[in-house]
Amino acid sequence: MATQPQAATNPALARFPADVLEAYQRYRTQGDAGAVEAVVIAAVVDYRPSGTRAVAAVSDATRLFEDLEYDSVAVAELVFFLEDLFDVTLSNDDLAAVRTIADLRACVSVKLAAKARTA
Amino acid sequence: MSPVVTGVGFVTPIGNDRAAVEGSLREGRHGMAPVEFLGNPDLPVKVAGTVKGFEVDSPSWRDWSWPTGYDVPKEVLRGLAPHGLYAVCAVEEALSSAGLRRGDIAGDPGTGLYCASAGSAMLLHHNLAQMRAVRGVRGNPMGVVSSIAGTLNFNLASHYGITGTVCGFVSACASSSHALGYAIDDLRLGRLRRAIVIGAEDLNADSLLPFAHMRALSKQSEPRLASRPFDAGRDGFVGAGGAVALVIEAPQAASNRGARPLAVAAGWGQAADGHSVAASHPEGAGLLLAMERALADAGTAPGAIDHVSAHATSTPVGDLAEANALRRLFAARGLRPPVAATKGLTGHGLSLSGVMQAAFAVLSICGGFLPGNPHLVEAGPECEGLELPRGTTGRAPSRVLSNSSGFGGSNVCHVIAAP
Repeated sequence: MATQPQAATNPALARFPADVLEAYQRYRTQGDAGAVEAVVIAAVVDYRPSGTRAVAAVSDATRLFEDLEYDSVAVAELVFFLEDLFDVTLSNDDLAAVRTIADLRACVSVKLAAKARTA
Repeated sequence: MSPVVTGVGFVTPIGNDRAAVEGSLREGRHGMAPVEFLGNPDLPVKVAGTVKGFEVDSPSWRDWSWPTGYDVPKEVLRGLAPHGLYAVCAVEEALSSAGLRRGDIAGDPGTGLYCASAGSAMLLHHNLAQMRAVRGVRGNPMGVVSSIAGTLNFNLASHYGITGTVCGFVSACASSSHALGYAIDDLRLGRLRRAIVIGAEDLNADSLLPFAHMRALSKQSEPRLASRPFDAGRDGFVGAGGAVALVIEAPQAASNRGARPLAVAAGWGQAADGHSVAASHPEGAGLLLAMERALADAGTAPGAIDHVSAHATSTPVGDLAEANALRRLFAARGLRPPVAATKGLTGHGLSLSGVMQAAFAVLSICGGFLPGNPHLVEAGPECEGLELPRGTTGRAPSRVLSNSSGFGGSNVCHVIAAP
């Protein structure tokens, strides 16, 4: 695997670290669903509101609103980014139950699995 | 009682703060630079009044950069157009020069916000293209608030916690003069004690090239030839971007907090041409009436005006109309106040134009100088009887008449006076 994935994989990821680009590449080329997690976590960290209190480590259990101080606008931006990146659609109903990073990742994974089945 | 101006802030082609702008005006230094849009060197648009120190060409705010010293968190950035970023920076300087902190205005029901911009054609285009590419399934959630006309009001009101009033004005190149005028009226009516007035515009292919298709832009590549209002050889305007903010206050409110008035917003007037969707009335009929109304509102006779800040954009038709109107107001009475068209230096900032001129008038009054028309070589025959000095005059005006005209025949004039 290339240590420096082509930036052309998706220009939206240009600002992300190499390991996130690699994970995205792994998903694209090998359909590695496990690689999605790294991308989702990186996006959540990237879109979190600035000036909020420090969170020691972002994990699956980290809550978007309570821990990372997301607001509804920031969530909408994050979801748009993920939708565009993975070419899936997350409805308001899908998002209603999302509290943690694990919830969001599961949400994206379900959509990707459904997409893979119909592909 | 007319409101007083207590703060000014600038992000303009001729400087990004008060000192730089005043220096450029005094020295007749233009702010134009070579441009090439859409990678097409064959386009006839060769120069523009560019904003320096900002990198905002990308439709993604994550790629933007701006001068150090401005704290713009990403919660604010994500809703902004390029001109919204200019606007935040200009408002920061205006508040600081007025001696106000964010805490003084946030949640204050006596503070209002009056904004003018055309929105961001670049972001509108980008966001809708993204939406269409996926056949409408999704789009940027910040697409609306960052791109439509009104983007300034939405974002600045939220960022500064404005609770008095928030509104926007869309009358093309008269927009920010309208914003200033209605802010003055709200203060005079006692509805508010303080207003922030801001005009701003993007400068990019999407904001500017449509004017080339109207045949309104200069084709010259040499800045001194491209923007030369009132010159016999003028061939169109030069586009500009940026933002200018004013803080105006009821005199008592300013004095209560010990703020020093820089100038007085003494009066304003407006009138319409009822003539064309884009071209000015050939005799400047609406502009003449607007000037007369502004003078009446300020209780000022034409003879008391000692400087005119012309709207003149360097288009053959527009400058002709304004020259005709100025001749009828002044020359016909044997009056020759010096007239300066500062778009020779800045280019034409569209919605931004009116408040930029008003702020320049404040600098003139405070700094004791009258800007000139350094790009003027030979005035057109319609300027017979107008005083158009080339160079800067070292004298403080007591009353400046500042003109704006926009598409649809919208004309708005202000009298800015020494305190």
